[in-house]
Amino acid sequence: MRYVLRRLPVLVITLWAAVTLNFLLPRLMPGTPAGAAVAKLAGQGSVSASQRRAIEVMLGVPHGSLASQYWQYLKAIAGGNFGISYTYFPEPVSKVIGAALPWTLALVGTVTVMAFVIGTLLGVLAAWKRGSIFDTAASVGCTFMAAFPYFWTALVLLYVFGFVAGWFPIRGGYSASVSPGWDWSFFVSALGHSVLPAFTILVSGLGGWVLGMRNNMMGVLGEDYIVFAEANGLSPRTVALRYAARNALLPGVTAFGMALGLVVGGSLLTEVVFGYPGIGYLLYNAVVNEDYPLMQALFLVITVSVLMANFVVDLIYGLLDPRVRR
Amino acid sequence: MDTRPPSQSEHAPLLTASGLEVLYEPAGGPPVHAVRGVDISIGQGQLVGLVGESGCGKSTLGYALARLLRPPARIAAGTVVFDSTDITNLDRKSLRGIRHNGLAVVLQSGMNALNPVRRVRGHFHDVLGAQQRLHAAEVDNTAETLLSQVELAPSVLDRYPHELSGGMRQRVAIALALALKPRLVVFDEPTTALDVIVQRAIMDTIARLQAEVGFTALIISHDLGLVLGATDQVWVMYAGRIVERRDSPALATGPLHPYSAALLACQGDPTAEKVELGGIPGSPPDLSKPPEGCAFAPRCWLSGPPCKEEPHEKLVGTGSVTCHMAPTKLEVPKLIRRVDGPSEPIPDSGHGAKVPTTASAAVAKGRGRHRDATTAEPLALIDVTKDFKTKRAAPSEGVQAQGLVQAVAGVSLRLEAGQAMGLVGGSGSGKTTLGRMIVGLERPSSGSITLGNLRVDKLRTRDLPRYWRRVQMVFQDPYAGLNPLHSVGYTVGRAIRNHQGLKGDDYRRELLRLFDTVGLAPPEHYAAKLPHQLSGGQRQRVVIARALAAKPQVLVADEPVSMLDVSLRAEILHLLGELRKNTGASLLYITHDLLSARLVTDQLVVLRQGHIVESGPTSSVLRSPSHPYTVELIAAIPTVQQSQTVPAGAITERPGEPV
Amino acid sequence: MRTTIFRVAATLWANRKARAGLSILFVFAAVAVLAPLLAPYSPTATNFARSAPASWSHPLGTTGSGQDALSQLLYGTRISLFVGFGAGLAATIVAMLVGVVAGYARGPIEVILGFATNLFLVIPGLPLMIVLAAYLPTRGVGTILVVVSVTGWAWGARVLRSQTATLAAREFVAAARLAGEGIWRIVWHEIVPNMVSLLAASFFGASTAAVLAEAGLEFLGLGNPSTISWGTMLFWAQNSNALLTGQWALLVAPGLCIALLASAMSLVNFGIDAIGNPRLRER
Ligand SMILES: Nc1ncnc2c1ncn2[C@@H]1O[C@H](COP(=O)(O)OP(=O)(O)O)[C@@H](O)[C@H]1O
Ligand code: SF4
Ligand SMILES: [Mg+2]
Repeated sequence: MRYVLRRLPVLVITLWAAVTLNFLLPRLMPGTPAGAAVAKLAGQGSVSASQRRAIEVMLGVPHGSLASQYWQYLKAIAGGNFGISYTYFPEPVSKVIGAALPWTLALVGTVTVMAFVIGTLLGVLAAWKRGSIFDTAASVGCTFMAAFPYFWTALVLLYVFGFVAGWFPIRGGYSASVSPGWDWSFFVSALGHSVLPAFTILVSGLGGWVLGMRNNMMGVLGEDYIVFAEANGLSPRTVALRYAARNALLPGVTAFGMALGLVVGGSLLTEVVFGYPGIGYLLYNAVVNEDYPLMQALFLVITVSVLMANFVVDLIYGLLDPRVRR
Repeated sequence: MDTRPPSQSEHAPLLTASGLEVLYEPAGGPPVHAVRGVDISIGQGQLVGLVGESGCGKSTLGYALARLLRPPARIAAGTVVFDSTDITNLDRKSLRGIRHNGLAVVLQSGMNALNPVRRVRGHFHDVLGAQQRLHAAEVDNTAETLLSQVELAPSVLDRYPHELSGGMRQRVAIALALALKPRLVVFDEPTTALDVIVQRAIMDTIARLQAEVGFTALIISHDLGLVLGATDQVWVMYAGRIVERRDSPALATGPLHPYSAALLACQGDPTAEKVELGGIPGSPPDLSKPPEGCAFAPRCWLSGPPCKEEPHEKLVGTGSVTCHMAPTKLEVPKLIRRVDGPSEPIPDSGHGAKVPTTASAAVAKGRGRHRDATTAEPLALIDVTKDFKTKRAAPSEGVQAQGLVQAVAGVSLRLEAGQAMGLVGGSGSGKTTLGRMIVGLERPSSGSITLGNLRVDKLRTRDLPRYWRRVQMVFQDPYAGLNPLHSVGYTVGRAIRNHQGLKGDDYRRELLRLFDTVGLAPPEHYAAKLPHQLSGGQRQRVVIARALAAKPQVLVADEPVSMLDVSLRAEILHLLGELRKNTGASLLYITHDLLSARLVTDQLVVLRQGHIVESGPTSSVLRSPSHPYTVELIAAIPTVQQSQTVPAGAITERPGEPV
Repeated sequence: MRTTIFRVAATLWANRKARAGLSILFVFAAVAVLAPLLAPYSPTATNFARSAPASWSHPLGTTGSGQDALSQLLYGTRISLFVGFGAGLAATIVAMLVGVVAGYARGPIEVILGFATNLFLVIPGLPLMIVLAAYLPTRGVGTILVVVSVTGWAWGARVLRSQTATLAAREFVAAARLAGEGIWRIVWHEIVPNMVSLLAASFFGASTAAVLAEAGLEFLGLGNPSTISWGTMLFWAQNSNALLTGQWALLVAPGLCIALLASAMSLVNFGIDAIGNPRLRER
């Protein structure tokens, strides 16, 4: 499809820019993160020359031109060689991240899509019944809901449903009695542990989508094609869904792409509160322990994931809007 | 259509409205009384036109009759009866039934009437599916038949709206309306914003369909010429009321209301030997403060003491008129006239007191201040082309697919000093691009543009402001042409400061003089206004004043009247003619409107798809065109036979009595 | 420009939601200014019983290190408002410069700025802030302000860029050129005044994001834990397991304040939306 080919260069350039930003960040910062990281590692045990080298490639070395550093860095990235983690010594960073990534993808990915779908539907309903009690309640409620920081909602839910009511486990991704694997007991345990974090992300994210979709709908409802559809005697349902909501969805999808970064940020905080074994909790630990190699690699992984997700959203937009296709 | 017998007597009316009042109640604004006591009826099979300037309530009335009004508008009083069902307060569901039973609407211009993400086929499925249970194949068959009725190929079914031209979209909209097997179709400005030739074709299609299918139609338009040629009866609407209701031929030859007569005088035949044009000074009243007495009085040259009272409807034959003075012999003052030969703006005389020609006097005062005509230089274009890269923006920007469009394809022309040249053509013919290249807002892709011996196409950006002291432009849209946040005095003043370098008292005097010159008197009063406080015509005068501030030798006017009501056309054209005569500037007049070109230009160039297809003296090009495209352009103009006198004794004062 | 600002302000005040939002903002501003008068104790005084539950003398209880929570809450308003409006203002200025230049310029400048905007738009903000804050040697309000501003301008820049491009294509801009106006005069006198409501929207949008981001960063311990702010209150409350000891007020009060402040800013933005889009206008 030509549309995909047309979008591809943007993705590649954006990815390159993100990778380069990741290269520049530790080198532009005051101090020498690489030195600090190596010193810390030395405290853990012996650091081999190759381990030391890997860290320097990632975080900056005191010698060598910037260009050659950049080249080394790109090679390392391509080989997935991000160095050694200090926190999880002597695990390599790539392995640590590899273990955490599925947790976050499963939780944040699913719930974000859910929040978008549910929020969009509620927004359509609010706009269609504009001025009704439902509309007012939804608008006011969502404004307030969207204003709470994710981590705060997480804390409150944890307190009420985890601590006071005791309905759900309050920490971790699965209970200590099961071991990760493809079996039923693990799945049930993981699901139980993800209920509160999922609910947090859903509740905090929903409001924005409801309000956004409501506004888009209000704009579209004034368009000529809505009046014409009504004049042609189409059923209110058809007008609301196939004519109004279908068009109001388009800016919503664009907004979804742009808001992904925000949602991911909020989800990270949620993971921290629940001690959920995903990327966010890992990043928190990396920061607290000044584990720069891990932190830097996590930033890259998060950024690249969001960029890829954005690319997918872009492609979906192309499917939804015939005007940008061809 | 002349053979059709006078309507009401034969059939029961299909649609009637009585005592209809419509209010807009916008949030945070005063209520607007857009329709004020309208009584009308449309007989089975009739074709009725509804005309008036914009803001007179035509669309509102049309929407009210079709029960399409939405908040903040509502029917405040009166009833609407369609096919002996009172639909005034019908709920949504029963209303759908009525629509399926034949009440259809085609919206203003139709450009946005189609769902942009749905194929044409989908639209037909929605409409036909909602109405009756049909198999997909049957729907497709019906849709193809309907499309062929509006002269579209079946392949259109698989297109998205954005892949169709404006005219094609309007045809699809008409076909969709026909799918309802309508008995009444309300057309709201069905051709506005379409290319002139396409306008004509659509009107022909509507007329043919009406004859074949036999629906009843209400055609709403601001263009009296268009409506008169296409309808049996015309309702003239002013300030929320119907002021005259007549059979079309009768209205064309003997309008009884001064407003109708004046609207008629705004029409003309550009191919006639002698062309005259009238205008209507001022603008329709603000309907949030409905006027007392006759609403037309402030603009009426016949108004007298009785007009302080609201006039009553008087029956005339099958129609009616609402004016105290009817029937008087109506002679409408003309503002501008052109006979073969030199142009001839009409001096102030006769009805002068009522005609907005303050401009003439003011221009006379300012005469001689401008640069001498002898210093003017010819403008020459040699083989000018302009290619545009077409950008197609992706959803969140980024790469674009590129194509090349040639907007102007090798145009050579010469505008002599002091000459007035018209540049005419349909939409997309490259007129505006050519104008923008001449003023230096665009650069030609190839060819040369010279003023005297200055190479305009080679000017550096920083030399352009000096060039703009010699060449200026009057923009098309007086609404987008003025920054809404600045007083118009500021806007014109900036041009004076920049181009003439005046300060202090000199500056002030020049500012007032310019406002006076364009007929905005008293100038102090107008200079302090913000654009939204002025009417469209007044804004266009400001735009002209700004262009004049540079004292240009060449004035490029890009469709200066196309966004204005026809009632303002004559005033602005008159002003342009006067200014040209008094300043000696040459004029390049860009338009799709042959009538205005005839009135203000000596030479005419006909442009089609970037090429010049014909050129020569304006009257000979228009009166004996040689290129088929020119012929087509001329044929697209609706012509009206007119005479402004009323046969005496045609009016009865007693309501209800047939004549 | 000044008259436009007044006009926008008046229209805003006429909108019910915006008026509610502005009123809440005024109250917060008053609290921030009058904190020394309103607070019963010094926010840093540690001479009270530790982790005391709510009582008449300490309506919100005391913290784990024996400070009066209410006094901290009142003083904390200052930091949140300061970071919120400071970062909002900084981000809006960057957004305006980038947006207006990218929208009006042609050629490589337009492409580069447009690309940078799109890049910063999709790069997840909080992780970037975390990384930046982690590297910076000093931790405190200033650092957070800088970090939040650096990451918060892209949304506004995008909106302002497309609005600038739209306005630049309007006839009055071409007309101003023909009237002999220079490029800067066109930008500042013709284009920017027509974007006042969008600028206000970017400002309040960026401020809302800044308030939430500041709280998040401090909660993670990336601020200076000895500052008195809502974020650090939450940080300490979490670290001293305030919930588990039943001192939920330590957690609920700052959270509600953050939410109230952020919703007040959103409410103002709804009003601004309604100015631009009459269809959203309410009775
Ligand atoms: N949504 C609206 N809110 C308030 N006033 C309106 C609205 N739409 C139209 N009007 C007013 O109603 C009057 C009639 O408008 P309209 O029916 O569109 O006239 P026309 O079709 O003859 O141009 C005008 O004075 C116009 O300003
Ligand atoms: S009633 Fe008087 S003012 Fe009104 S149109 Fe007739 S003559 Fe003119
Ligand atoms: Mg209309």
